[in-house]
Amino acid sequence: MSDPWSLLVPGLVVLPLAAATLVPIVAGRDPRRAGSFTFGVVLLVTAMAAALVWRVGEVGAISVPLGGWAAPYGIEFRFDRFSAWTLGLSALFAFIVPFAWRYLEGTLPRSRWHVFYALLLLNLGGLLGFSVTGDLFNLFVAMEVVSLSSYAMVAVAGRGVAAWAALKYLLMGSVSSLLVLFGVGLLFALTGSLNLIDVAARVAEAPASPATTLALASLMVAFMLKAALFPLHAWLPDAHAIAPSPVSAVLSGLVVKVGIVGLVRVLQLSAGSGTDLALVNQVMLVLGTAAIVMGAFMAVFQDDIKLMLAFSTLSNIGYIVLGLGLAAPFAVIGSVVHVLNHALIKVTLFLAAGSIIHQTGFRTLRDLRGVARVMPQTSAAMAIGALSIVGIPPTAGFICKWYIALGAFESGQGVYGFALVFGALFIFVYYVRMLNAFFFRPAVRAEVQAAREPAWSMRAPLFVLAALCLLLGIFGSIPLAFVEPAVVELLASMGR
Amino acid sequence: MRGLGLALVLVAAFTIVLGIGGLPPRLDPEGPVHTHVGARYAERGLEETGLRNLVAAVLLVYRGFDTFLEVVVIFTALVAVLALPSGVIGGTSWREPDAETSEPDAETSESGDRRAAAVVDRPDTGVPVSNVVGFVVRLLAPFIAVFAAALLYRGHVTPGGGFQAAAIFGALFIALGLVLGRAKADRLVPRGVRPYLQAMGPLAFALVGLLGWRLTGAFLGYPSEASAYVLREAMVVAVEVGIAVGGAVILARLFQALEGR
Repeated sequence: MSDPWSLLVPGLVVLPLAAATLVPIVAGRDPRRAGSFTFGVVLLVTAMAAALVWRVGEVGAISVPLGGWAAPYGIEFRFDRFSAWTLGLSALFAFIVPFAWRYLEGTLPRSRWHVFYALLLLNLGGLLGFSVTGDLFNLFVAMEVVSLSSYAMVAVAGRGVAAWAALKYLLMGSVSSLLVLFGVGLLFALTGSLNLIDVAARVAEAPASPATTLALASLMVAFMLKAALFPLHAWLPDAHAIAPSPVSAVLSGLVVKVGIVGLVRVLQLSAGSGTDLALVNQVMLVLGTAAIVMGAFMAVFQDDIKLMLAFSTLSNIGYIVLGLGLAAPFAVIGSVVHVLNHALIKVTLFLAAGSIIHQTGFRTLRDLRGVARVMPQTSAAMAIGALSIVGIPPTAGFICKWYIALGAFESGQGVYGFALVFGALFIFVYYVRMLNAFFFRPAVRAEVQAAREPAWSMRAPLFVLAALCLLLGIFGSIPLAFVEPAVVELLASMGR
Repeated sequence: MRGLGLALVLVAAFTIVLGIGGLPPRLDPEGPVHTHVGARYAERGLEETGLRNLVAAVLLVYRGFDTFLEVVVIFTALVAVLALPSGVIGGTSWREPDAETSEPDAETSESGDRRAAAVVDRPDTGVPVSNVVGFVVRLLAPFIAVFAAALLYRGHVTPGGGFQAAAIFGALFIALGLVLGRAKADRLVPRGVRPYLQAMGPLAFALVGLLGWRLTGAFLGYPSEASAYVLREAMVVAVEVGIAVGGAVILARLFQALEGR
């Protein structure tokens, strides 16, 4: 009998992708079956990811040579401590899918449900592939699966504006993808290899060349664009705000993290390349800080709750990049875990916002005044999400930002620690504005007063997510301790 | 603003030219591209994979998972086009006829109905096809199909293979659709089997990969013993057929979507 672990890692990627092709068949005459089928697949994927995370904790990183061809001749899948976020990733899909069951009614014609679920599974498979592959070209192809399905999901439910937002997203995404392909091509020409570890070793050996710098720089810019790091963020707010809410949750919580995971990969590559990492770190510090402040600043002026959440993603990407740029153990650990925690919080917020918009038909703070009186449970979940994202203890958002700030002071760059706290205050302002409108202002719309709590299949995922926002705050040290060895290794390879 | 954009483009172009100047010289037999991974493929590829074509060896065996994901990208492209609301491309409703009978929903607006009706009422093709074109296409169709099948089957021996065959099959479907009219062309690939056919690329890969794992212990592995020659050949052909059929149907459906169906 073959080693089951060697199947589990590729299976994690292949299962959702192969299942996606089956969705139109399963949907057949009853499109609702597509939803349950997708949910089943996502649960299975989550279980597989959980088994792998447990295994990594026991024996360390799992390397799987696909087809039996050892790296660098074949494609290598590596499931390491960073890849553990795939568990959170698939678990979040397991909340988004049941939420979508009822949400789609009245949002999307039934004849298109199977398209929606197929896109979700393709997106999940691409994200998983991107997170576990150890091969540069494979990384690119997996990213294309993610990107293509993301563009389509933005366009799926709307006409006019949605199509334009999707087009803008597509154009920016294509620029980013081309830059990745360009960088990968240059690295292949320089090293004759595509395996990440092999390329890093060979780049380190080779004499410094402007081509190496260009390759790493184009990869870095490309992933910053994918992550919507300020000032490359212009495509994000429209795309994330206009998409249907389950899609917004996927895009804002998970898909932008492709850029972050990619950035970490580039840092791994450039560690020994002779590139001046101090300069790279400086760039990340400045852009990260700018993103925190600008994201918060622009969010304050939004009236549309989904646009507000989209701008808040800009700030949070800023936090993550700032932490990476600090290159101090605490800060990087905080950043890496915030990739997951921000995903959890943002999914909670977008699903809560989606419930409110779905039940009332309004999406601006002005119209939604007093909605907490008719939808107290959903509003409470939204409030927990809001407190988390601001970073109030004891929530999931607090612990990461605390670690990043600790890292700033630890590495003697305290000014960024103050920037972070200042940003958090700013963010606090606009969430207070939102909570004030929801909880303490009288309703101005009759439709809002007549609204009800959504169906249980929408409420239950939301409650569990809100509970997780609290639990990950209280037990937040578990993921932090889990990624620590990987972060220490990464920083050591960077010479710190 | 335009000046700024132009300046940015010039700076980027300058940087790229400067960087590319640092690449190893092209066609240098001592360059890294020819001495590292590539050299091993060229030296031992045919022997290790048991195939008779190096391109197929890299595409399907050494880097099979890349090809799997590429096939998934093609499938994603189809789903993405189907996801676009009517009016974004093609200008007509893309709903399947059996969906018309399902309960009314937000999309079944008045204009949607009218458009759907327009599709049915419209004659098969707007412009009548010249008899010469029609005759030639129908005459050549079997030959084109045979050529595509040959390309497909010979793919692991000589250059060619599933992707090329898919392009030719797909073009054949489209040409026949233009000449015969939609109704007849639709009967070439009945609606009921389309969801199965369009999924064949990724599914063939997944199944062959699983079989490979069962046989060799590695996902997408191929048995390497000389005695397993027939089995290995069958696995490669299964993947190629999956790519060809899936790709062809997807190409045809993309064209239908452009037509507004």
